[in-house]
Amino acid sequence: MIEVQHLTKRYGPTTAVDDISFRVEPGEILGFLGPNGAGKTTTMRVITGYMPPTEGTALVAGYDVATHPIEAKRRTGYLPETPPLYPDMTVGDYLAFVAAIKGVPRRERKSRVQEVMKRTAVADMSNRHCSKLSKGYKQRVGLAQAIIHNPDVLILDEPTSGLDVKQRSETRQLIKDLGGDHTVILSSHILSEVSQTCQRVVIINRGRVVAVDTPDNLTSRLRGEETLFLQVDTRGADARPVLEAITGVRHISPSDVKGDLVSYEIGSDPGRDIRRELASTVVNHGWGLLEMRPLRMSLEQIFLELTEKEGVPETPDGEPQSAGTGGEEETVHG
Amino acid sequence: MGNILAIANKEIKGYFASPVAYIVIGFAAILFGWFFVNLLYYFEQASMQAGSGFQGPQAVNVNEMLISPLFLNVAVILLFTLPLVTMRTYSEEKRSGTIELLLTSPLTDVQIVIGKFLGGLVLYAAMLSVTVVHLAFLFIFGNPEWRPVLTGYLGLLLMGGCFLSLGLFVSSLTKNQIVAGMVTFAVFLLFWVINWFASFAGPTTQAVLNYLSITEHLNDFARGVIDTKHLVYYVSFIGFSLFLTVRAVDSERWRG
Repeated sequence: MIEVQHLTKRYGPTTAVDDISFRVEPGEILGFLGPNGAGKTTTMRVITGYMPPTEGTALVAGYDVATHPIEAKRRTGYLPETPPLYPDMTVGDYLAFVAAIKGVPRRERKSRVQEVMKRTAVADMSNRHCSKLSKGYKQRVGLAQAIIHNPDVLILDEPTSGLDVKQRSETRQLIKDLGGDHTVILSSHILSEVSQTCQRVVIINRGRVVAVDTPDNLTSRLRGEETLFLQVDTRGADARPVLEAITGVRHISPSDVKGDLVSYEIGSDPGRDIRRELASTVVNHGWGLLEMRPLRMSLEQIFLELTEKEGVPETPDGEPQSAGTGGEEETVHG
Repeated sequence: MGNILAIANKEIKGYFASPVAYIVIGFAAILFGWFFVNLLYYFEQASMQAGSGFQGPQAVNVNEMLISPLFLNVAVILLFTLPLVTMRTYSEEKRSGTIELLLTSPLTDVQIVIGKFLGGLVLYAAMLSVTVVHLAFLFIFGNPEWRPVLTGYLGLLLMGGCFLSLGLFVSSLTKNQIVAGMVTFAVFLLFWVINWFASFAGPTTQAVLNYLSITEHLNDFARGVIDTKHLVYYVSFIGFSLFLTVRAVDSERWRG
C-alpha cells in the first residue's frame, strides 16, 4: 500500500533523510520510531506529497507522489504534528471544508462529517470554534479531518503528543480501530505507545533505518539470552548453588535480599525454557516460590542501544527486513 | 472549479468570522463617506457659481466633477485597507500549519492561489458595494450618466485585483503577518508614486514609469473609457502576480 524506495531528502547541505526504504502492507499499522530530528516528519511529509523527495520515490496505493500527486493525495489522510485547524471556524464547518477539498462528493459531505465526528467523539463540539477546543479535542478533530475522505492510507505524525493518559489510550484505541480499514503509519518517540498500537516498527535515527520488525521480535532478537526474574523465600538458605546446577542456566545475577526474600535474575541459554525446572527445584527444596517472570528488554532499551550505537550494520542489500513470523531470522543488530 | 470555490468560500468565511472584514469595510465606508461629502460640497459650490455667472448658466457635469474624482480617491482607501486583507492569506496558514492541510489535499497550487484571490476579491467587492449607497443618492437627486459609473467600478475592481494579487504574493513569502502587511503597503505605495519621477525623466523613461503606475491606468476607467491598453495592464499584472505566488509556494516545498 505504501512503498518507500531509496528516499533521500536534503535541505541544502543537511541530509534529513538518507536512503530510506520500507513498505507497509494494506491494513497494517506501522510505527515510525526515532528521536527528535531523526527524519520522521520529513519522511511523512514526502509520503503525503507535502514536499518532493530529493532522490528516490514514494508510492501510495501504486501512485508515485511526485508524478501523480493528486491521485496519491486523494488516497492519503494526514495528521501533522500540530492539527491543521482554522481557529475561526467551527468544528462542523471545518470538517465540511476539508471534505470539500479532499474531494468528497457534495451529497455525501454532510453524512461523512457526521460519521467522522461520531467516530472520533467530537460531535458534541460541532458548533464550537476550533480555537476554543482543548488539546485532546483538537487532536481528535485533526484525526477526524484525516479520515473524512475515507483514505486508504493514514499518516499520523505524533498523534498522541500533548495528550493526557486517558486521551492517549482513547486515541490509541481509535487508531487500532482504524487499522484494518486503513493502512496506517504513525510516528512517535514514545516507545510503549508504538509497541501497543503497531504491528511493525521502523526505527530510524539520523535519517537512516536502523531496524524494521515487530515489537516482540525486536525485543527478543536483541537479547542473546533469556532472562528470568525469580523471587523466593528460602528461609535463610542459599539458593544460588542449587539454581546454578540446573541445566541451561548460564549465570545468576547478584541476589537482592530483603529479610527472607531473595531475588535473582537468571540468564539462560536462548531458546530454552527453564521455568519448569526452576519451579520444581524451588518447590522440592521446600522454599516459597513468590514470583517468576521473564524479563524482556524494553523497547526503550533496544531503542537506546540501536540509536546510540554508531554504524549499526544493516542487512546486506540495504533493504530493511520485513516482519518475520518467528525468531529464526538473523538479528538486525550484529 | 469546485476546489477553487471551496477555497474561496473558506477565505470569505474566514474574513467574516474574524474582525478583518468588518474593519476593512467599516473603515472604507467612513473614508468614502468623508470623500463623498467633501466632493459633494465642492460640487455644490461649483454649480452655484456656474449658475450665478454673468455668462448665463454653465453646464456642470456630475460625472466629471464628482464621480470621477471620487473613484480616484478610492485608490487611497485601497492603499491602506487591502494590505489588511491579503497579509494573512498565506502567512497565517504557514504560521498555524494549516498550509500542510492545503498542500497535502488533492488540490493544485494554482487552484489554491486562485481560490484565495477570489476570496479576497469578494471581500473587496463587498467593500465597494458600500459605496453604491452614496452614488444611489446622486441618481435619486441628480441625473448622472450610468455608463461611466460602471466603467469606474470595473476599473476599481481591476485595480483592487492588482493590489490583492500583489499582496497575496508578498504574503506567500513570509510567515509573519505584520511583515507581509508592511511590505505589501510599501510596494503598493511604490507602484502608486512610481510616476512622480516621470516629469523629470527622459521621454522613454517617462512613458515606462507612467505605464507602470497602477493608478495612472484608472483615470480612463473613471472617465468612462475602457481602453484595452489599461485592461491588458491590469489583467497581466494580476496574472503575473498570481503566477509568482504559485512559484513561491512551490519553491517553499522544495526548500522545506
